[in-house]
Amino acid sequence: MAVAKTDAINVLNTDTAKLYTHIHPILVLSAYYFNFSSIVADPVSSLIKFLIPLNVLQIAYVVICLPATGTAQPPPVLKSSGMKPAVQKKSPKGKSVSLASRITPALLSLTLSLALGTPLLGTILILFGAPLTTHIHHTILCAAHISLLSALPLIYTHGIDTDKWRRIAALMIPLDEVFGAAVGTCIGAWIGAVPIPLDWDREWQKWPITIVTGAYVGWAVGKVVGGLLVKGKVIDLRP
Amino acid sequence: MGTRWRTRNIMLAIANVLVPVAALIFATGFFPYKPFVPGLAAYHVLEYGEPPIPQFDKVIFMVVDALRSDFVYSHSSGFRFTQSLIRSGQALPFTAHATSPTITMPRVKAITTGSIPSFLDVILNFAESDTTSTLANQDTWLAQIKNKRDGNGKLVMYGDDTWLKLFPNTFERSDGTSSFFVSDFTEVDNNVTRHVPHELRADDWDALILHYLGLDHIGHKAGPLSPNMVPKQQEMDGIVHEIYEAMNTFSHLNSTLLVLCGDHGMNEGGNHGGSAPGETSPALVFISPKLKTISSGKESPTLARRDYDYYEKIEQSDIAPTLAGLLGFPVPLNNLGVFIQDFLSLWNDSTDQGQLLLRNALQILDIVKATLPNEQYNGLTSKADCDDDSSPGAELACMWQEIDRDLKTGGLAGPQNEVTLRLLFKFCRRAQDIMSSTASNYDLSRLMAGIVVAILSLILTGLAARNHSVLTNLDGAFFLLNILLYGIMMFASSYVEEEQHFWYWVMGGWLFYISVRKAQKELSVSPPFSFEGDSAPEFLILLALHRITQRWNQTGQKLAGAPDIVHSFWKQYPMLLWCFVALTYFQAMTRIGNHVSHYLKAGTLVGSACAVALCVPAFIFKLAFTASDAPELLVPLMGEGGVALFQGLPLVSTARMIFFLIASEIVWACASRFYIKTERIAKRDLITILHTLLTLFLLTQTRATNIPLFVIFQNQEFILTALALTPTQISVSTLLLGYTSFFAFGNSNAISSIDLSNAYNGVSGYNVLAVGVLLFASNWAGPIYWSEMEHLVVPTKVEQLHEDESPFFSHIALLTLFVTVSLVAVMVACTALRTHLFIWTVFSPKYLYTMAWSIGFHLLVTVGMGGALWLVCGGSENYGFS
Ligand SMILES: [Zn+2]
Repeated sequence: MAVAKTDAINVLNTDTAKLYTHIHPILVLSAYYFNFSSIVADPVSSLIKFLIPLNVLQIAYVVICLPATGTAQPPPVLKSSGMKPAVQKKSPKGKSVSLASRITPALLSLTLSLALGTPLLGTILILFGAPLTTHIHHTILCAAHISLLSALPLIYTHGIDTDKWRRIAALMIPLDEVFGAAVGTCIGAWIGAVPIPLDWDREWQKWPITIVTGAYVGWAVGKVVGGLLVKGKVIDLRP
Repeated sequence: MGTRWRTRNIMLAIANVLVPVAALIFATGFFPYKPFVPGLAAYHVLEYGEPPIPQFDKVIFMVVDALRSDFVYSHSSGFRFTQSLIRSGQALPFTAHATSPTITMPRVKAITTGSIPSFLDVILNFAESDTTSTLANQDTWLAQIKNKRDGNGKLVMYGDDTWLKLFPNTFERSDGTSSFFVSDFTEVDNNVTRHVPHELRADDWDALILHYLGLDHIGHKAGPLSPNMVPKQQEMDGIVHEIYEAMNTFSHLNSTLLVLCGDHGMNEGGNHGGSAPGETSPALVFISPKLKTISSGKESPTLARRDYDYYEKIEQSDIAPTLAGLLGFPVPLNNLGVFIQDFLSLWNDSTDQGQLLLRNALQILDIVKATLPNEQYNGLTSKADCDDDSSPGAELACMWQEIDRDLKTGGLAGPQNEVTLRLLFKFCRRAQDIMSSTASNYDLSRLMAGIVVAILSLILTGLAARNHSVLTNLDGAFFLLNILLYGIMMFASSYVEEEQHFWYWVMGGWLFYISVRKAQKELSVSPPFSFEGDSAPEFLILLALHRITQRWNQTGQKLAGAPDIVHSFWKQYPMLLWCFVALTYFQAMTRIGNHVSHYLKAGTLVGSACAVALCVPAFIFKLAFTASDAPELLVPLMGEGGVALFQGLPLVSTARMIFFLIASEIVWACASRFYIKTERIAKRDLITILHTLLTLFLLTQTRATNIPLFVIFQNQEFILTALALTPTQISVSTLLLGYTSFFAFGNSNAISSIDLSNAYNGVSGYNVLAVGVLLFASNWAGPIYWSEMEHLVVPTKVEQLHEDESPFFSHIALLTLFVTVSLVAVMVACTALRTHLFIWTVFSPKYLYTMAWSIGFHLLVTVGMGGALWLVCGGSENYGFS
């Protein structure tokens, strides 16, 4: 890993944003936890139903906490700088952006992540071994959940610039809580495939419950790790 | 080369030498050779006088291969007549538990000797010519019957030639059928049935053995639900009917016992070898009008209590002592079976009943004494309960002391008889359990020695590869993580059964990883908005090809029999299959043509001639083989007539010709490198020629339905080459692709998935070596193909390597590291879980596969063949070191 030249996404400089960004994963995970038994019992309808609270929470998260694409971020302040606390407190940036101007890109990101992200991620899931001839609804819903978790905040913060997305696909943007969460979602979904072959014959081993669960857990872990521990670093796999 | 590297080379060489040493030491402790008592059993002299008179004088032993219990007993069975006999009490039905490995030869051994064959019989089953596997010198009910009437007993045998191999010079008359092509559902059985009428009329034999293979073939071909299954059951039922009628009509058959049984069952996919309930539950029916006296009939058809358990469940080995009692001969010496209780009431005298069982128990006691000589069997220490004894030997000794006391006080006669019978049964059953259980058979010190040697080999490999550039980068980290996970996985029985998922899963991650690496490299040098460095399409194509290979053959236990490309798609679109097969051969032909005309500089004419001479017969061979092996794939292409025409072609000589032509071209190519000074062939060209010829050989060893996989492999190889892999990446890719292709071919860690169909190409007799090599090549065709990638793909990042370091050393070091870790993991798993329920069903087969991977594949192919290629190609020179 190396320190990036480009900037990592910072959470908006408001108290609400700083608070909610930590509450958000707890809310999402507990919502998922309480719906888990119904998802196991009836994956398709429960996963459809659960899309609504997930949508609401994710929209709330990006609107409250994240800078929309194109809106200027406060310049990153070096931690060594003595000016930092003062600048941060007085920065009016967070409040200057109106709520409406943030809701529109949020809804746009939602539409794009559902309309573009879901089929794309569904295809990738199938290429990674998801069933093709059966369980197609399950796979699409799994893709929708992964897309809402990972792609929605990415689209909201990075827009739809092709070159930017090529760098995202090549993991070449700096880690932050948005990108970390996206990477975590994908790794979590991949690791979620591990318990499927075990002969425990449990209901939750059925497609795609472990994948979705892995994605949620990976998303939360990635968000925390990306936002706090390795923020600003770049996953450099170059030889 | 510096001394440091020389030391490392030597360490790696020693590590590789230790691999087979460790594997074999462990194997001798894990699969101990069970010594058998030679000679024929004679009756013990007992105070109760002569043995009880027999109830039958002749036996017709009718084996229907893979006759699972439900095929006879269930509501959907075709055995209507047999079921009517069960209802009327003239037939006694059982489910005879068959132990793993559920393949014919060890099962016939268990049925005839009453012993439980060791796992080594699996290996011997494939090396059938081995004389140690014959039962000519062992005590069986066949030998006992032959010994009847002062050695004038006569036996007759029709059907599966396994019996002829196991019992050479035993049969008066015989006609063996071999189960070479499983597509043969009718001929193989008609060859048996046509002998039945005249043998039923003949009165000279004491035992008539029939072994029908058709039902097993239907299972292998189309599974237990095949539309051919019930008609075949009806056909077998008809034979039971015919024999039953003869038993009632002919006076010489009026004291004859008919036994109808399966040697093993089959799983949902129609295969067998493992220990799924379906595989271990064959039917067993004793039929005679006489049985009416002891049975008032049973409900039939009926439902299974659970998983194919119909009626009473007995052990398959119980057949031998039961036949001994019913037909009146001593129980075979190595028997661990117990006389079936239901038949005791055929004897009215309770002393006779006691005697039968006592003789059975005395014979088992002889084995117990031989195996556990340190126990005190005749003492009179009185004890109320034997169950709490610490060792199994002490428990058996205690039980026998109890019987001894009982016999001395009351004997077999009188009111105490029932107690004695109960004690005898209890002793026999417990002895059967203990003597056939595995724990007592392991040689722990050898298991430990094997593990220690394997760990030594692992340490040496680790030392040879330490600080090596191939391990100290991200690729190396991925590789180490991979082998760590693999080692852990070996302890979970379901992952061993479903190992393919691990490789498919890791492969997906690996493809993503190398594509992202490539993308990052390209993106960091190429300007924005240029699509030159875009590796997304390559990645998606690689992933799609990988996804197709995953679906090629459904393998593993959990979803056995689920639809896949080979069993569903090609059945529907055989024309498309043959387009791909033709394309594969056409590609090979153009390549060979090019190679010969350009690389070997023989000119276009000779080149084309060579190409046609090699590939056209190879393609015709594939058509002819498939015409016999899977005619349904060819009928839509050429009709029944065409298929019949191809079936008539001589397979053995065609295969020999192809092998000979491939070998000659290899010799020609190598000779033109070493002996022809002028116009020497370039090293890379030689490698390419050898790779094409090897591919043609592997095509010959591959089923038609798997041949299009080679088209996929070639495309994967092409794209991977374009990705400019580093040496470590090439080694890791070789490993991953090797394993994924192994499972894509339909293999698994179960014995039942071994594909024998191509093992006899060009072999007419029983040549163990040739069959072994061909068997290995046909099952490991994918890994063998990929093992050559190391030599074909030129790594671009050679600067990564140490100056003195040869890329081949790094390659072997990495793969040896994997082999030693997997060997240690499997050995430790087998040792730690040796009392586990799954040891025979999951871990023992896995150990055999690990031996095949580490000795057959790693040593012979990766190191041996790879090393030879490396030498032929002049080592590192090939890689552009300068
Ligand atoms: Zn079979």
